[in-house]
Amino acid sequence: MFNTRGWIALGLLSAFALPAMAQSFRVQCPTSTITHPNAASNNSEPANIGPGVKGAIKCQQISGGDGYATMGDGTQTYLFSFGPLSGLADIARGLPGTEFPSVFNTVHAGAPLQPGDPATSGTTYNGAVGLVLDIPNLVSIFDISEVGNTVTVVGNSPLGVAVGDRVTISGQDTTGYNGTFTVTAINVPNSFFPANFAFRYTNTTAGLAAVNESATATAGLAPRIDGHVDPRPIMDVGVMNGNIPAPLMAIDEDDEFFLTLTNVGMIMRPDLFEQHTVHFHGYPNASAFYDGVPDASVAINIAASFTYYYLAPDAGTYFWHCHITPPEHLQMGMVGQLYVRPRQNRLTSATTLNAGLVTQQGDLRTACRRPNDGATPAVTTATDILCSNPVPAVLTTATGGGKYAYNDGDGSTAYDVEYPLQIHGFDPNFHFVGMTFNPEGFTDMKDKYFLLNGRSYPDTVSPGPLATQTVDGVMHFSQPLPAIINIPHGGRALLRISDLDVSEYQTLASLGIPMQVIGYNAKLLRDQAGNNLYYTTNSITLGGGESLDVILDTCLVRTTPGDPSSACNTTAVGATIAAGTYYLYTPNLDHLSNDAENFGGLMTEVHVN
Amino acid sequence: MKKANSMNNRLLCIAGAAAALLLLGSAHAAAPGVKGTAFTLTASPAYISQPDGQTVYSWGYACSGGGSAAPTTITPPATGVCGGVMQIPGPTLIVTEGVAFSVALTNNLPTAAGNTSILFPGLSVSSPPTGGVAGLLTQEAAPGTSVTYHLIANSPGTRAYYSGTQGDLQVEMGLYGAIIVLPSTAPAGCTAVGAVPAHYIAPGNSREADFRLAAAAYDHPRTCYDREYLFQFSEMDLNIHNQALAQVTAKAGCAAGTAGCSLEVPTEPYHPAYFMINGRSMPDDMDSNYAVQYPHQPYNGNPHMHPGEQVLIRVIGQGRWQHPFHEHGNHVRILGRDGNLILSATDANSLAGPLQFTTTTTPGLAFDGIFYWTGKGLNWDAYGHNPASTAASTMPVHAACVPDANGYNTGAPTAINFWEWCQDHNKPMQAHPFGDVASGGPVTLPDPNLFTNGAWYGGSPYLGPDATTRFAGPTGTTPPSGTIANSPTGEAGFAFMWHSHNEREITTNNIFPGGMLMMMLVDSREFQIDESN
Repeated sequence: MFNTRGWIALGLLSAFALPAMAQSFRVQCPTSTITHPNAASNNSEPANIGPGVKGAIKCQQISGGDGYATMGDGTQTYLFSFGPLSGLADIARGLPGTEFPSVFNTVHAGAPLQPGDPATSGTTYNGAVGLVLDIPNLVSIFDISEVGNTVTVVGNSPLGVAVGDRVTISGQDTTGYNGTFTVTAINVPNSFFPANFAFRYTNTTAGLAAVNESATATAGLAPRIDGHVDPRPIMDVGVMNGNIPAPLMAIDEDDEFFLTLTNVGMIMRPDLFEQHTVHFHGYPNASAFYDGVPDASVAINIAASFTYYYLAPDAGTYFWHCHITPPEHLQMGMVGQLYVRPRQNRLTSATTLNAGLVTQQGDLRTACRRPNDGATPAVTTATDILCSNPVPAVLTTATGGGKYAYNDGDGSTAYDVEYPLQIHGFDPNFHFVGMTFNPEGFTDMKDKYFLLNGRSYPDTVSPGPLATQTVDGVMHFSQPLPAIINIPHGGRALLRISDLDVSEYQTLASLGIPMQVIGYNAKLLRDQAGNNLYYTTNSITLGGGESLDVILDTCLVRTTPGDPSSACNTTAVGATIAAGTYYLYTPNLDHLSNDAENFGGLMTEVHVN
Repeated sequence: MKKANSMNNRLLCIAGAAAALLLLGSAHAAAPGVKGTAFTLTASPAYISQPDGQTVYSWGYACSGGGSAAPTTITPPATGVCGGVMQIPGPTLIVTEGVAFSVALTNNLPTAAGNTSILFPGLSVSSPPTGGVAGLLTQEAAPGTSVTYHLIANSPGTRAYYSGTQGDLQVEMGLYGAIIVLPSTAPAGCTAVGAVPAHYIAPGNSREADFRLAAAAYDHPRTCYDREYLFQFSEMDLNIHNQALAQVTAKAGCAAGTAGCSLEVPTEPYHPAYFMINGRSMPDDMDSNYAVQYPHQPYNGNPHMHPGEQVLIRVIGQGRWQHPFHEHGNHVRILGRDGNLILSATDANSLAGPLQFTTTTTPGLAFDGIFYWTGKGLNWDAYGHNPASTAASTMPVHAACVPDANGYNTGAPTAINFWEWCQDHNKPMQAHPFGDVASGGPVTLPDPNLFTNGAWYGGSPYLGPDATTRFAGPTGTTPPSGTIANSPTGEAGFAFMWHSHNEREITTNNIFPGGMLMMMLVDSREFQIDESN
C-alpha cells in the first residue's frame, strides 16, 4: 500500500525546472476597486438600494501548514491544516476571520505577536499578520535647491513619485530641507538629469542654499501599506498553528473577497514540500483559475502567498477545503466553513421583503425571474434553470430588519442566532501514519473520531477555544469553534451544516426540536414557480461535500401565523418548546464514540434559555 | 514499508499517470448505446482492466444483435455495437417512450454461476417473459438457455437495468447497464436533433456535429438540452472476483443443477478498492469511447461543453454504495429521478427538482440533471478581452458583447464569445498588464516561479487558446511545463474536477489519483468538441 502523489509530483518536476528563488509572502486587500471605487464606503455593508453591485470589500489571510488537535479522549492528533493569519482575536472568539480593509490593513503595534497566538498573548489584533509598511522607495539626491518656498529635488535616479505623494527628505547636510512634504510637481526640467529624475515640493523655510552632490541626502516615499509583509511574524504565528475546522469565513452578497493563502510549510513533514489550495466549494460559474483544483489551475508553493479573488456569490452555506491530494489533505484536516449572507439583511423594516426581492430582479446578475413575479419587463417562463430564489408564490407583508439565510422575499428563512456546524471524521491510524513519514493507504480508511466543528462530545459543548500543545512546546488554539447551540426561548436558530467527511455518509438527528430544512447545497428550497419546498424532519444525512440549512424553531405559534419573523405568541398554550437542554446526535450509533471510548462522538447540546 | 519503497512506488505511479495522460488525445464522451426494439443480450465472462495494471475477472452483457448504434455521429467499434463483445457497463439500451420493446437474455456464464436474469425497475411489463425458468424476482435463464422480457416505458428518462439473480454477486461482477428512454415527441422550443445552428468555426476546424440522442430529456420544454453524458457509478471488491474465478475454474464442467454446481462466494464483509465511472477508473475513464485498449469497457467519462450549453447528465448508482458526486463549476438542476419528472405542484410549466452541487448517487437509482457554465458573476472578463489590444490575432480580440434580455451575448451564434456574460465584458482581473491583457483590475498574480502548474491548467487564468496566447506571448514564459492534458495553444479550456467527494473513492486500489474522478472541460468556441472518437 502506498500513497503516490502522482499529480503533485508531476508538478514538482516543473518546480525543479523553475525553482522559486526567494520567500514571497504577500497579502492583497485593496481599499477600492473598479467595482467598489469609493474607499470610504468599503468598510461596512451599505444599505440595500436595488440593482448594481453594492456590498463592500472583505479580506482574509490564512496559513497552509500543519498542527495538532485534541480529540475527545484526550489524544493529540496530527493535522495538515489551515490556520488564521488575520482576525486572530475574532477567530479565538468563534467568529469569522474575514475583515473589512480598515481592519485587515492595520499594522500590528506593540509587543510582537508570539508563536501560538492568539492563544499566547491574548492579542486583540485582527489585522493581517505580518503586514508592514513598505520599505521606503529611496533615492540619493544629486542636487536640492530652493526658489522662494519651492524646492526642486534632482535625484540620481527617478523616484517614481506622483503629485500628491508624501516624500521624505533626509540628510546630514540638508537640515533645512529635511522633513516630510507633499509633492507638487513632477517631471521638472533641470540642468543635470532627465526631467523624470526631479520633482518639487513646498517648504515653509525659504532662502536655503542649494546642496549639490551630498553624500548623505536621500528622498524617500513615505512608508505605506501595499501588501508587503515581514515573514517573521508570519512564521512565528503561522507555523504549527493549524485549526480544525479551518478558519471560518463569512461574506455578504456583492462583496469582493480577497483571500490570501500563505503557505508556511509543514514542519513535521519536511519531506513533503506540498502546495495547498483553497477550493470554494459550490461557487457558481467558477473560473478554473480560482477553483483551487491544483490539476486544473496553479497551486502556491511553500514560502509564498496566493490571493484568491471572488465576487460573493448567491447567499447560502458553502464550505471550503484544500484540493491537493483530497483523500489525504481532507482526512488530515484541511476543511473549513464559509457562508454568504443575503442582501436581504440590508433591508430595513420600512421595506417589505417582497418589494426588495422584486427590485432585485432588475439586476440581471442577481435576478431569478419567473412569470407573474411583479418585476418588469414581464417574462413568460423562468429564465434561469440554475437559480432557486424567485419571488415567492405567496405574497406576504413581512418587512426587513432581520437576519435571513436567503433572499426569500417572505421572511421564511429568518433567524435569531446562527451556528455553522461542520461534520468531519478522523481516522487516527491514517493521521499517525501521516505524521510518521509512512505512505498512507486509502482503502482501509476508517474514521474513529466523529467531529462537529473539529470536536467530539463532550468537547463540543466546551465554550471558547480548545487549545493543544504542539511540538513547539506552545499552546495553540487548535479548535476555536464550539458546537454548542444556544437559542433564546421562543427564538429561531439557523444551523449551517456542512459535511467534509471523506469516507462515509453521516446522519445528524435532533431530539425534541424539529429540523426544518430550508436550503440544500447553498440554494433555497423553492421551485421555479416560487413555492417553498421546505420540509420538516428529525434527522438529516449528508455525504462529504454537501451542505444544508436547518432552522430549529423553538416557537410553535407566532403572533402573525406564517411569518416566522413575527414575535412568538407566548400567551398561546404550547406556543414554545420548553426551555432546557436538547441534543443533536448521530443515530449512526457506532459514531457516538471517541476511538476506544464507547462514549462521545458526533453529538452536541442545544440550550434553549 | 520503508521510505525507499514508497518513493519508488511514487515514481512508478508518476510514470504511469504521465503515460496515461499522454494517451488522452482528445477523447470526448456523449452517451453512446444501442437503439432498437428487440435487443439480444448475452451474459458472459471476460477480464476488464484497471489503471493500476490489474485485470479483473468479471461478468457482463454483450449485445448480440437487434439494435443499431446511436447516436449515429459516434463511430462504433469495428465489431459493431452488437458484435457480441461482453462489456461493463452493459450496452446502453436506447428506446422510445410508449414503444414496446423486448430484451432477450442468453446465459453464457460459467455453468457453476447458475441462472441469471434482468430486472427493469421503472419500466412496465408489456407481456409476461417468454422462455426461461421461474426465479425469485423474475423469470431466469438457466445456463446455456435464454429468456425474453417484454417491456414498455411509460415515461422518458434514464433508468437502470441489472441482474435479478443473486444480485449481491452478479451485480458486483458487472451485470448492470442503463436504459435511456427518449420522449416520443420533441417539446416545443427545443432544437431538433441535427438542427443545431452554425456556431463559430476556428480556422482548420469543421462544424461540430450533433451528438444528442434527443432534443429533450422529457416531454417538457424546460428539459431541452444541447449535449448529454451518462455516468454509471460502481465499486468493486477484488476479493469477490478472485473467489468467483477460483470457484468457476474448480467447478468447470459441472452439470447445471447438480449438487455442488453453484458458487459460494461470500460478498460480506465488503471491501472495495476500485471505484469506477462507466466501468473505468481515472485516468482510463478519460480515454475515448470504444477505445481499443478497453475492449470490455467501451464507455468513457470525459465531458466537454461550451459556455451556455445546457448539458444533460444522466447518472446511475449501479453498485451497492452511495457516492456524493461533486460537479465543480456550477450547480445541477435535478430534472427527475427514474423517469419521473419533478414539476411544481402549482404550475406544470415550472421545474421543482432541487439544485445541487453534490449529487448523491444511490444504488439502483437514476437521475437526470441539467448543468451549464457561463462564467456569470466572476466580475472579470474570463475571455481576456482587451479593448486596448493591438495584438495580431486571428481571433476578434475586441469582440462585442451585446446583452440579451438575460445579459448574455446570444444574438449571433457564430460569435466566438457566444454566451459571454456581458456585464463582465472587458473587465480586467489583474492590477498590472501581463502579456496582452488589460490592467486596472483588483488582483496581482504571483510570480509564476512561485506556483506549480496542474496537468489540466490551460496556461492562463483565461478561457481559450487565443486569450492564453495573448496572455503568455506566442512562445510564452507561461504556459509552462506540466500543462499536458489541456494544451494552452490547442484547447486551453477551463477544467473542472467532477468526482466522488467521499474522497477516498478517487483512488485506485490505494493509488491517488484514480477512481471516481474525471475532468470536465469548458471549452472556448475556438475549440471543436468532437464526441465521435
